[in-house]
Amino acid sequence: MLGIPDPAVWIAYLLSLGGAILCVIYGIINWNKDNGGNEGGKKR
Amino acid sequence: MTYIIISLALYVLIMAFISYTGYKKTKSTSDYLLAGKEIHPIVMALSYGATFISTSAIVGFGGAAGQYGMGLLWLTVFNIIAGVFIAFVLFGKKTREIGHRLGTNTMPEFFARRFNSKLMQGYSGILIFLFMPVYASSVLKGIVDYIAKYTGVSFNVVLIVLGVLAGVFVIMGGLKGIMYADAFQGTLMFAGMAFLIIYTYSILGGVTHAHEALALLPRQPGVAEQTEGLVKAGFVGWTDMPRSGSPLWWNVITTLVAGVGIGVLAQPQLSVKFMTVKSGRELNRAVLSGGIFILFMTGVAFTVGALSNVAFYNETGRIAIKAAGANDSIIPAYIKAFLPEWFGGIFLVVLMAAAISTLNALTHTMGTALGRDFLKQSLRLRSDTIRLTRIAMLIGLVISVVLTWLSGKLDVSMAIIAIGTSMFYGLCAATFLPTYIAALYIKKFPRGAAHVSMIAGSAVSLFWLFFVQEKTSGSLRICRLLFGIDSVVKDTPLHTLAMVDAIVIALPLSIIAALIAWAVIGSAKESQQAPVTVSAD
Repeated sequence: MLGIPDPAVWIAYLLSLGGAILCVIYGIINWNKDNGGNEGGKKR
Repeated sequence: MTYIIISLALYVLIMAFISYTGYKKTKSTSDYLLAGKEIHPIVMALSYGATFISTSAIVGFGGAAGQYGMGLLWLTVFNIIAGVFIAFVLFGKKTREIGHRLGTNTMPEFFARRFNSKLMQGYSGILIFLFMPVYASSVLKGIVDYIAKYTGVSFNVVLIVLGVLAGVFVIMGGLKGIMYADAFQGTLMFAGMAFLIIYTYSILGGVTHAHEALALLPRQPGVAEQTEGLVKAGFVGWTDMPRSGSPLWWNVITTLVAGVGIGVLAQPQLSVKFMTVKSGRELNRAVLSGGIFILFMTGVAFTVGALSNVAFYNETGRIAIKAAGANDSIIPAYIKAFLPEWFGGIFLVVLMAAAISTLNALTHTMGTALGRDFLKQSLRLRSDTIRLTRIAMLIGLVISVVLTWLSGKLDVSMAIIAIGTSMFYGLCAATFLPTYIAALYIKKFPRGAAHVSMIAGSAVSLFWLFFVQEKTSGSLRICRLLFGIDSVVKDTPLHTLAMVDAIVIALPLSIIAALIAWAVIGSAKESQQAPVTVSAD
């Protein structure tokens, strides 16, 4: 795959790309969501 | 040389402007420590990424990939999945929410208020201050090596100039200046690394062709003689994982991949960034840019590091480590020999940006750890927080510079930068990670169990680093001084343990210690969960 013979290495190569794509999709889907608690900026 | 001077002059001017603006806009302790808690998500993501990725990742780990191969890409997978996705989504949002609710400004203070324990604040603060200079010196060594190699100026002169420059930028600005400077530097780093990977693939005939050439390299004439030592240690090829269970496999998997890959989740200089944004929404948005940024940093550095072997072999008949002379010199030597001259100047600024952004955050964290967490809040020293922090920053920076100078005297064939970085990341993971997870997700986790986990994790980790793990104990020399050998398990039936990284032993033990203590002590009572008094400074 992609000129890399060892599956343990080409899997890592593809997972790196896949991980970045996952981050992009997550960011787009949750762009306007505040699902981490909505107490933003609350100070005592 | 002209390109270097122009690029450096522009960089220093822009950085001076940003630091000065940050200095002028810093009006309160919260501004100084948490950038006013209203940072834009892209600035936060770039700042997190630029802090996370330093010259250590690009020059140190890139050089390690040049020597050991593309198996290091597993670290990129960890960097993206654990370092960005899990860190932002599972750790970041909760840290921000609880941190803001308790009014915390640093990671030790977060633990102190969450568990109502000043002891934890003092202990974490002093531990961070004592051992963070090891990581800071690795970052410094990365940039000093590059500039010295590229310009021919002596290592010591470059070290002193950079130490002063880092000191001026960080001490002036506070976290606000640092984060805006990071965003500028992160953009520079992204552009530089994008050009590097496109150019490298293009000179080697495209993605697949370049990988194929690298896969065939071990069978080319004259290469076997050059990789003889590496093959004995477990090396198979640059597009293969090392032989399972060999010393090289243990080094790549446990030290380089697991140490930094998992350690990133409990880094005090990174977790503080989560507290700088207004809400969880900013963190969702930051995941998008964070993932791509890290891919272009470590993914590019490791791929280019490994592929540099093909370029060096085609040109000189030698593999990268032989042509460059040292592990940490592979990336600088590759840039100098194969990329356009103008890019060498720009890349030097990219590396400066990578180094200064991480150093700024580390110096800031060392300063707050000693000045605020240990001296001011744990020992109750009566002095202004910002003043104390600035003095502590200077002390931390000077220690880091001295350590960098000393590291210049170690064996050049070792991946010194990568080992120093892994050491600190591993120590942080074993000491803080179980307690950090409990602080975020287990409401009734008792203070006593948190104490036990922190102390057990740090004690086992330090014992392993100083007396068992040969790569570190051999360099630290205390084991040799006391027992006359580099590792206490050497020449015993347990000798394999000398190759195992501290994180593999210390982190599970820290978790087990926490669970046993929890079972013995019982769940926390309501009074233990109440936050300690919040002070303005």
